[in-house]
Amino acid sequence: MTKPTPVDLVVLGAGPGGYTAAFRAADLGMNVTLVERWPTLGGVCLNVGCIPSKALLHAARVLEEAKESADFGIDFGKPEIDLGKLRNWKEGIVGKLTDGLKSLAKQRKVTVIHGTGLFTGPNTLSVESEDGKSEIEFKQCIVAAGSEPTKIPGLVEDPRIMDSTGALDLKDLPKNLLVVGGGIIGLEMATVYEALGVEVSVVELTETLMPGCDRDLVKPLQKRIASRYQAIMLGTKVTSIEAEESGIRVSFEGKQAPDDSQIYDCVLVAVGRRSNGNAIGADAAGIDVDQQGFLTVDKQMRTSRPHIFAIGDIVGQPMLAHKATHEGKVAAEVASGLKTHFDARVVPSVAYTDPEVAWVGVTEDQAKAEGIGYEKGSFPWAASGRSLALGRSEGMTKLLFDKESGQLIGAGIVGTSAGDLISEAALAIELGCDAADIGLTIHPHPTLSETLAFSAEVAEGTITDLYLPRK
Amino acid sequence: MDVTVPDLGEFSDVEVIEVLVKAGDVVGVEDSLITLETDKATMDVPSPAAGKVSEVKVDAGSVVSSGDLIVVLESEEPKAEETNDQPARESAEVEESAGSAADSEPKFKPDAEPAAEPAAKAEPRLVNVPDLGDFSDVEVIEVLVAVGDEVEAEQGLIMLETDKATMDVPTPVAGSIQELKVKVGSRINPGDAVALILPSAADAPADNGTTESPRQPAPANVADAPPSAPPGPVAFDQTTALPAVGVVDETAFSRAHASPSIRKLARELGVDLGRVRAGGRKGRVTSDDVKAFVKRTLKEGIAGSALPEVPTVDFAKFGPVEEVKLSRIQKISGPRLHASWVNLPHVTQHDDADITELEKKRQSLKADAQSKNVKLTPLAFIMRAVVLTLAEFPQFRSSLSADGQKLIVKDYYHLGFAADTPKGLVVPVIRDADSKDVYELAEALGELSSRARDSKLGADDVQGGVFTISSLGGIGGSYFTPIINAPEVAILGVSRSSFKPIYDGTEFSPRLMLPLSLSYDHRVIDGAQAARFITRLSETLGQVDRLMAALP
Repeated sequence: MTKPTPVDLVVLGAGPGGYTAAFRAADLGMNVTLVERWPTLGGVCLNVGCIPSKALLHAARVLEEAKESADFGIDFGKPEIDLGKLRNWKEGIVGKLTDGLKSLAKQRKVTVIHGTGLFTGPNTLSVESEDGKSEIEFKQCIVAAGSEPTKIPGLVEDPRIMDSTGALDLKDLPKNLLVVGGGIIGLEMATVYEALGVEVSVVELTETLMPGCDRDLVKPLQKRIASRYQAIMLGTKVTSIEAEESGIRVSFEGKQAPDDSQIYDCVLVAVGRRSNGNAIGADAAGIDVDQQGFLTVDKQMRTSRPHIFAIGDIVGQPMLAHKATHEGKVAAEVASGLKTHFDARVVPSVAYTDPEVAWVGVTEDQAKAEGIGYEKGSFPWAASGRSLALGRSEGMTKLLFDKESGQLIGAGIVGTSAGDLISEAALAIELGCDAADIGLTIHPHPTLSETLAFSAEVAEGTITDLYLPRK
Repeated sequence: MDVTVPDLGEFSDVEVIEVLVKAGDVVGVEDSLITLETDKATMDVPSPAAGKVSEVKVDAGSVVSSGDLIVVLESEEPKAEETNDQPARESAEVEESAGSAADSEPKFKPDAEPAAEPAAKAEPRLVNVPDLGDFSDVEVIEVLVAVGDEVEAEQGLIMLETDKATMDVPTPVAGSIQELKVKVGSRINPGDAVALILPSAADAPADNGTTESPRQPAPANVADAPPSAPPGPVAFDQTTALPAVGVVDETAFSRAHASPSIRKLARELGVDLGRVRAGGRKGRVTSDDVKAFVKRTLKEGIAGSALPEVPTVDFAKFGPVEEVKLSRIQKISGPRLHASWVNLPHVTQHDDADITELEKKRQSLKADAQSKNVKLTPLAFIMRAVVLTLAEFPQFRSSLSADGQKLIVKDYYHLGFAADTPKGLVVPVIRDADSKDVYELAEALGELSSRARDSKLGADDVQGGVFTISSLGGIGGSYFTPIINAPEVAILGVSRSSFKPIYDGTEFSPRLMLPLSLSYDHRVIDGAQAARFITRLSETLGQVDRLMAALP
């Protein structure tokens, strides 16, 4: 390829943020080129993240429910797992979605170039692929180059030591697995492997699972997995990981560390993700990158170079696809001349564990730490008919209202489908709803969504599904 | 030596319209260096010493204030003037300095725009008492903040009590209180200072963890970008691109009780949501609130010029035309005259003064005065009469206070007179006209008129006036309606005198009558006072002995 005429917009990275930005900009009449280093579109989310993990989590869920149904008189017997077929099914879902993206790009006349993009100047990007090197000249650019799993420095290379991508490959089922990192990614993979019959241990450096989430929301999950997992080691540091013939030898240090080093068949390292900000040639473009590798952006997603935008994982936490897609639309709209800003007030977080944990807005820990006055309304799912009918009683819904304005400022849910339920709370926060707005909205019965209305009623003091002594 | 701009009196930021010297020029004492133009007159800045200009620090178009450096002068040794035996050396230096001046030219170009920089810095801002409607002299019953407090935009600073209601005075900006100008019990009026606030930075970190950094526009390299990108990479920052509606306080924006669609609308219109009054249920900001805010802002923005417009006509359609540029003085005086015309309710009172005796006296003294090089014009006598009349009518030498609540009576008699110059109308001012007799007044008139014609008026020569006289007597016509030289409150128009038959009760006799036209600000002066003033003035013009009397 030779040097083409400058394109209106280059989008670097075709993850959820990147392809959304490219499509939105194309729909707004821009001439768009999308650069992606992997052979398929969709980025981490579609290929090695959200989607394949959710497919496997669904399989895990089916296994669990089949097992639990023995409690109410339906026994399926011991499941037979065809790992190859499961893997193919998962890959089929991914393939269907990435193919879909390909045709969406084609319909919009978005030029897709596969190769690794690197800035060579404020208006030029070189793209290196197997076919050679080409240069793209652009008027504006949206950087959506994402993040990568954080590597533990000096870690030995061994097929039995994997990151989340390797874990999703599902090559075989080890007898036991150590998950290093008790965050969302580690716990989701632990959920899958445990359901597939693997003995799982989790080690987490901080004092809690899922740091950043309120303790009362994590508690039902922690209680459930405590009896199922071989070990959950909190406040514990991994001091060494050595590959031996018999397995991976891991030594620990800390509060709940075992006395001796342990041997595991497999180790999954899920200690977070790192921005790719230092891998795009930011210097050549003159874009500011902070110490953690994040590109600094303003409310319109502009970097220090106003004609270069950045969105998604590469601009900071939380590294979530739905944040990236929203930012992608903002950037695309601004690039095409609209006056859009990133004005979303909250970004919901979800752990697709069993039970699911979801939260949005201000957490209770945060409110306490920052001295934000709040009123709490929480509802235990043990009093929800629907939850009991699903065979689960450990869930909880919690709403936090600003003490002064009465508006909803935060919500947390743990239990079945918490991730689907949290959207109502997010909408309520964006609209500035108070407890009456939520409580007086008729929620269908019997659903889990009722627990949001009940929580609001608790805050209002109008709840009838619980008996609360008068204050 | 450094030559700086002299004291310009009330003027600052005055434009340099002409630079009369260049590096290398040899100047003498009082030689003009540059010409400045205030909104009242042009004036030359003379050199305080003889010497050679080694560097010129201003350009035509530069804006200067008192004390600003104009030129660097190499003072000549006193004897250099006499000893003319060094022209060779001098001319060599001239060339050398001229070269260096050319080199340094780009350096002082940026100095021509001194106003651009400080605007970017956060400077303490004075919060004033807003318009209270019909109330004035209102008591502060509570002070709601203390020095050092952080306040948000629209937060109340003090509470006032009028005889009808109590009300908060809110701050228009978020920031920290630097100084409080009032205390409980203070009585204040609209426009009075309440507090000094250091505005906080517009962008606070976002709540949702999105990294945000106040971004410096980097225009230098952006210019590399092809210019045809849709909005143009340079003009990207919407907050600065919409000065009409103002800078958005992001913290207040992120707290406004407004749904995502309303926020989107606000962004499109560049509206700072934090400043929009919420009219929806439970204090929600609705789209109507946002639109109403925009309408109100637009209305306020053009309130000053909300006059019905004169239709524009393409005159060339009807015949040949020629375009002539307005002179600089016309461009400046035009808006001033308009401001006076629309702001001051003008009434004009006319009268005829019998100056038969006065003119006789003037003619008898004229030749003698001429020998002393003084041109004894009728205007000198009129001025003397005006001084005597002003002494009896203090309102005519007053001005309204800025808040319109008080009259400021001036106990001095600096009289302005309209002078017709090739560059336009200027109004030189004769200081302490009450301490001058007609000869001295005539002398001052002549001297100031000639300096006005030569653009040599200084700052002191065009300010401080109490009352203005516009005399068209030398030209012709009878009666006109002069426009008051605001903030003065009256102006005397003088037309050409002529003989008229005046009936004295028994017969008509020819008397030399001087048409007078007194325009006055009806807010300050009522009709009866004006009639008394002009009658007294006419009488005084007839009292030749009084006019000629030696000054006390």
